[in-house]
Amino acid sequence: MRAQRYLPIALVTGGLALLPLVVTSNFLLNFLILTLLFALLGQAWNILGGFAGQFSFGHAVFFGSGAYATATLQIHLGVNPWVAMVLALAVGGLVGAMIGALSFRFRLRGSYFALITLAFAEVFRIIAHTADFTGGGSGILIPLDLRPANLQFEDKAGFYYLVLALTAGSLVITRALQDSRLGAWMLAIRENEDSARALGIDSFRVKLVAITLSGAMAAAAGVFYAQYFLYLDPGIAYGVGYSVEALLVPIIGGMGTVFGPLIGSFVLHGVDEATRGLTGDAPGLNLALYGALLIVMLRFLPAGLMGLAAQVKGIGHQRRTRQAHRLKEAGDA
Amino acid sequence: MSDNSIRFRPVSRRRVLAAGAAGGAVLAAAGTVPRVLRAQPAAIKVGLLHPVTGAISYSGQQARAGALMAIEDINAAGGIASMGGAMLEPVLGDAQSQPEVGAAEVERMNEEGVAAIIGAYASSISLATTQAAARYDLPHIVDVGVSDQIVSRGLANVFRFGPGFGKIADTAITNLVTINEAAGSPARTVMIVHEDSLFGSGLADLLNARLPEHGFEVLDTISHPTPTRDFNNVVLQLKARQPDLIIPANYYNEYVLLARTMLQQRVQPKAVYSVLGGAASSFRFLEEFPGAAQYIMDCNHWYDPSNPKSAELRQRAEGEGLYFTYEFFLDYCCVGLLADALERAGSAERPAIIEALAASTWDGHIMPYGPTEFVDGQNQGARPVNTQILGDDIEVIFPTEVASAEPVFPMPERG
Repeated sequence: MRAQRYLPIALVTGGLALLPLVVTSNFLLNFLILTLLFALLGQAWNILGGFAGQFSFGHAVFFGSGAYATATLQIHLGVNPWVAMVLALAVGGLVGAMIGALSFRFRLRGSYFALITLAFAEVFRIIAHTADFTGGGSGILIPLDLRPANLQFEDKAGFYYLVLALTAGSLVITRALQDSRLGAWMLAIRENEDSARALGIDSFRVKLVAITLSGAMAAAAGVFYAQYFLYLDPGIAYGVGYSVEALLVPIIGGMGTVFGPLIGSFVLHGVDEATRGLTGDAPGLNLALYGALLIVMLRFLPAGLMGLAAQVKGIGHQRRTRQAHRLKEAGDA
Repeated sequence: MSDNSIRFRPVSRRRVLAAGAAGGAVLAAAGTVPRVLRAQPAAIKVGLLHPVTGAISYSGQQARAGALMAIEDINAAGGIASMGGAMLEPVLGDAQSQPEVGAAEVERMNEEGVAAIIGAYASSISLATTQAAARYDLPHIVDVGVSDQIVSRGLANVFRFGPGFGKIADTAITNLVTINEAAGSPARTVMIVHEDSLFGSGLADLLNARLPEHGFEVLDTISHPTPTRDFNNVVLQLKARQPDLIIPANYYNEYVLLARTMLQQRVQPKAVYSVLGGAASSFRFLEEFPGAAQYIMDCNHWYDPSNPKSAELRQRAEGEGLYFTYEFFLDYCCVGLLADALERAGSAERPAIIEALAASTWDGHIMPYGPTEFVDGQNQGARPVNTQILGDDIEVIFPTEVASAEPVFPMPERG
């Protein structure tokens, strides 16, 4: 029964793993890589926002910290990129724990917590601008050396499998969280923190674990970005764009669900590419169309696409129940 | 009953062959096989990749317009002669002012079979696009991106037509010292206002390192993000410190806002000496805000005013309602550079184009560079010039061999 809960993740990951065998277009592979990257970042936000109910507007702080950690460890200390990746995840988790400890200790909730995360992302951006080890505003360039030992791959499929492994890992962690007592505590805090505390849940500790886990996961996305594009500057790493992307993906897909961020990322980026194809070379028209579609989706799907799927499933279930009732009544008659 | 219907003689195979042979012989004898009847050479796809939306869209759109005009001109002149008059076909891309989008556009262009890419205006975007193109040995001509990292990574597919900021900073400082000394060295203190990405920050670092070597004291360096829509605080800092020189290095919109706010708050330095000032050498800025633009000096990409082709091109651009900005004419020239390489390569194969670009000695451009010569992808003759807005025109004040006016320094009181 427990293994069955992971079957959908195994099937989805297996299906995605087969794609490079049939997709020969590097453009499509690049699209899939970026889609999985944002699904990973969205899943990180989902753990903190979707499960623990703490809405962050500054997830770029974790993304950027992971990216800078791996880049600076490689450049300044000569650390192997694989080792640097593990250390960068720890850095992301530490940054999360630090922000969480400060914010939750002072009981910052709702919009106040959202604003403090936004402020932290901005502070980190400014620090990255002024610090020497980050290369300041000029940024940091990871030398091009396409070898798997360097966490750089000649073939796009190598990057694809790396980001797929990270995304699959995030799905497994989220499912394990969903089935665990910790996950139940997070949901209790999301629904009503005061009631959860009255029931004896240590909300500070639970939220701290959520933000630490979320920070490490977002840092993994940052590490991948750094290895894929090999260049970072403060605007890229800590810019508001990634914070928005991180929350948009699970909101569209379905917050507090395992597959919501993945579905949201595929839909968002698919729509983006489709609108680009539809509008041709007219500058910005694709973005306007993309924005309009986003507004429509947010208006009519407040629970995201997973919510829509649940609704459809619910309608089917109701129909079947009514039909069974009618048959039973007919039989009784 | 008479038969009035028209009768055709049946056409035999022999008659068709005879007629065809006769027609062919006549045309061949005249040597004038009509062009439409000849096999048309396949068009050569050229990727034009610029940030036409997002924070730096104005510059991206200007760059795209310049490149498109050049393609039109080359096609109108008969295309690439060595390839049977093959036409250039633009494949447009929008980097949306983001490096990862630029890299994704390279993937798309590669799949569409472009022979080369020209772009991608900003340094950070160009770093990503050149690297993405390197995976496919796809020739990439960098139009503007000034970061010297772009041409220092050993990528054989990358060629930068314009100067990098190392060269620009050197030239700017040398010319500033000359102008200052000629006026009796009235300027000693400096403040730098720069945008905070790779281009502005890299340049500010170079200026901070080199200005003190020439006796200037840098009072402060203020960075700002792109976009920034309010410069009041920045200008208040300038007003409080009262530097002799203000050195802005930013993109068009921010430059205009900064210059306007300085005029409104009556900041009166001895000179506004821009280095790669986004609007400081822009006819649009001059036309829209002549008061704020007066006497501003700039060390930037600029055409050779003594070249008759530049005046002609400016007239044409303005005739089409376009501003003749550095993005426009640099991209116009980059297309010419590629066309020359294609002409010599006689092929749209990527290795042949890379080889032809590496051996390029093209002098058909309008820049004060001399013939092109690439070493490690950098055009050795590329250099900036100093301009100053004087009256209703932008004059070149340095180097002297292409100068159209004498510098006005220190600048008279404005506003």
